[in-house]
Amino acid sequence: MSLPRLIPVILLKNGLIVRSQLFRIHQTIGNPMHTVRRLSNWNVDELILLDISTEDFHDMRRDDMQVRYLDNTSIGVLRQIAEHCFMPLTVGGRVRTIEDIRTRLLAGADKCAINSEAVRNPGFITEAAEAFGSQCIVISIDALRKENSSLEVFIDGGKTPTGLHPADWAAECERLGAGEILINSIDRDGTGYGYDLDLVRQVTGSVSIPVIACGGVGIYEHFPQAILDASASAAAAANIFNFFELSYPYAKAVCLKAGVLMRPVCLGSSWFPREPNYVFEEETKRIEARLERAHTGRFLAAETAAPRSVRWCTKCVYPSLSATPMDFDENGVCMGCRMAAMRVEAPPHEWARRKSILLAIMEEARCRDGSRHDCVIGVSGGKDSYFQTHYIKNVLGYNPLLVTYYGNNYAPVGERNLRRMAEIFDVDHVIYAPGIQLLKKLNRLGFTVMGDMNWHNHVGIATLPVRTAAQNKIPLVIYGEHGYADLCGQFSMNDFVEWTYRNRLEHFARGYDWNYMVGRDGIAAGQMTPYQYPSDQELYELGLRTIYLGNYVPWDGNSNAKLMHEIYGFEFGDLPFERTYRRASNLDDMHENGAHDYLKFVKFGYGRCTDHASKDIRSGIMDRGDAVALVRKHDPVRPSDIKRWCDYVGMSEKDFDAIADTFRDPRVWWLEEGAWRKQNIWERG
Amino acid sequence: MVTIIDLSIGNLQSVANAFRRVGAEVSIVQTPDAAEGAQLLVLPGVGAFERAMVQLQERHFGPFLHRHALERRQPLIGICLGMQLLADRSHEHGLFEGLGLISGEVVRLEPRPPESRVPNIGWMRVRAAKASPMFPAEVDGESFYHVHSYHLVCNDPFDVAATIDFGSREIVTAVERGNVFGVQFHPEKSQDAGLNLLRSLLNYVNSQD
Repeated sequence: MSLPRLIPVILLKNGLIVRSQLFRIHQTIGNPMHTVRRLSNWNVDELILLDISTEDFHDMRRDDMQVRYLDNTSIGVLRQIAEHCFMPLTVGGRVRTIEDIRTRLLAGADKCAINSEAVRNPGFITEAAEAFGSQCIVISIDALRKENSSLEVFIDGGKTPTGLHPADWAAECERLGAGEILINSIDRDGTGYGYDLDLVRQVTGSVSIPVIACGGVGIYEHFPQAILDASASAAAAANIFNFFELSYPYAKAVCLKAGVLMRPVCLGSSWFPREPNYVFEEETKRIEARLERAHTGRFLAAETAAPRSVRWCTKCVYPSLSATPMDFDENGVCMGCRMAAMRVEAPPHEWARRKSILLAIMEEARCRDGSRHDCVIGVSGGKDSYFQTHYIKNVLGYNPLLVTYYGNNYAPVGERNLRRMAEIFDVDHVIYAPGIQLLKKLNRLGFTVMGDMNWHNHVGIATLPVRTAAQNKIPLVIYGEHGYADLCGQFSMNDFVEWTYRNRLEHFARGYDWNYMVGRDGIAAGQMTPYQYPSDQELYELGLRTIYLGNYVPWDGNSNAKLMHEIYGFEFGDLPFERTYRRASNLDDMHENGAHDYLKFVKFGYGRCTDHASKDIRSGIMDRGDAVALVRKHDPVRPSDIKRWCDYVGMSEKDFDAIADTFRDPRVWWLEEGAWRKQNIWERG
Repeated sequence: MVTIIDLSIGNLQSVANAFRRVGAEVSIVQTPDAAEGAQLLVLPGVGAFERAMVQLQERHFGPFLHRHALERRQPLIGICLGMQLLADRSHEHGLFEGLGLISGEVVRLEPRPPESRVPNIGWMRVRAAKASPMFPAEVDGESFYHVHSYHLVCNDPFDVAATIDFGSREIVTAVERGNVFGVQFHPEKSQDAGLNLLRSLLNYVNSQD
């Protein structure tokens, strides 16, 4: 007998993975390559890729990322993904002709999923099955349960009703030659309520071909239900696999425990190491090519004719081309605004419910024998660190271990705030300070390789608390807010998204894990230990969870700062920043709001002031006109700390500017009479 | 060096990628001349038996494969349809001659309760039937990804390298006779189990030189 399968579904929109809600709202999660490599690392049973792009062309150039796309087409992305897939791969989305199927199979797909075209032209199913064999043809059915609880098949991404009943249509598909049915529930999509088991049962009851259930999974326990209670051959889901660490292995374990006979849990394929295998010589060539461009002034942005247009959110001031992945709704409102509105509108009882979920997590982590701390909190000594420690220790009464990555760039006031934490809160505090020569090397490498001197800081902060927890067998790590969920609405607050290695590698490290640096500038592997993430095996055995406090308690940077100042004497910055109007952010690193943020402006044409003003608009404390004026004032400023940084690492400012210019995005910048130009929000409105 | 025969009837990239992943140098060839000197010859294949045999004969691979496998005793592996091509004949849509490198016939998979589904698609647990370089201890008993509607019935039970349970009986899923190997499943789509199998086969091939 063939074994039931557990299948992750990847939704791709314009080349990037999205989270989907009711087929209507799409939040960009990131680059599929990182996710696919992770899934290969776990030996998943099968992979389904559904491309929901509206056009064939997309543009995902990111010169600061390690993973590059080979071209700008969906098929190009598929070809690249397939190179990392040694599991069966089903591909769907805009499959309308025999040629479409052939193209996808040649690009590496094993099966094709057909949806709308099958309804419009049922003969196509037979034609496709005759050309490629039934085993190759999956019919994807999107069903909506209407208010009177009757079921109907919809096509065109859930937009067009067909009058068909899903069970009847599935039976017809089998008769016409389909090899498999993928049944998806539109009204359960993104809800987390679980499968529509009645729908799945009706479909499995009407066909003898395998049925894959999809839509609605919110907890791992939903997976086995599709197989045991609704006779599906495979249980599939998209969103949940993006939300939690080790989601696939944990989901597998739950299925096995429920009595579903599946392939075993795999934590680390011998053929797909979790940390990418960088080809040292090739990466060296890439670095040398960049330095060559810097020295000869052959900047990509200068060589491109007309830039593609950037647009801005109609509510806040966030641009479409940004460091964080962003999508917009049909009214041009960004997902950051949409998700922030959801938080603001959450009623008090919703926050009470969230607090009770947090309490359950805390209680599970609580140490009962005095052998360890209850949890780890990653702290920088900033306003949010104070708030987290205040909440966990003084409000909830737990015993946290504070862990700080000390990147040697603290502003004096930030340093004072940090050093006072052990005293004020009476908690243990580990401050980990890497060697200064190593830090200087990593500053230089980060800047040269990815245009970010703070790579070491981001990866240190994203690694050390989890590493310390794993070493001390502490099963819970707490961070503050999910930066991208807050800034660009990457996730919904109902996802209760947690920290993952994938997110760390993709967004904090830009695809450059610790091993990338080994051998460069004389850096040895052993020096990189603070940046080495615990193995999957360690995480799994400890059941280590890393949560964001912002998912459970109302969170607002401004009011956190005020409250912490009042209760604990948290100090604000004594000097105004050059690149933002806020005073209490990023005191842990003098370059974070300066040279580091200036590089974001050089790359994408906006900076931290845009981030802060967007958040303040969403919080309802700033209007858009004032925000635009602030952005105009702060975003373009070339900060004075560039000189300090150059002196620190031994680089000339001329080299700094030349290397920085190699990162300018050609879609944003062009060179006019020797000056860099871009479109501006104050010119476009 | 692994040499994959391209019959222009399917995507060979995943097979090539899999061999590369386990450390082999890979070339894809369309003529016997280009395949001269192959260390391990790979005969992949999807689609129908007759069409694949016609392609093989039109490109004069028939005599070459006999020379390679029988006279020079060089290793050869058939994958999926490629394994079926090794047989004497197949009953797929008629009766057609195969390469005759493994004595047996390819017949349609008949549904046998409790297994009623043909084609047989999915992960099946594979049991080694004899000691084989394809099935070292870490591979024996693992699940492999199968997609097929026909299966090979061997005349000589000693040629059977591994089996799966299909319904109430065992069917052949891997063969081995001398240096001729075949697998019904897709090692290139079977994750670690498949890659471990290919690696083990490669080690064997390298040890033969």
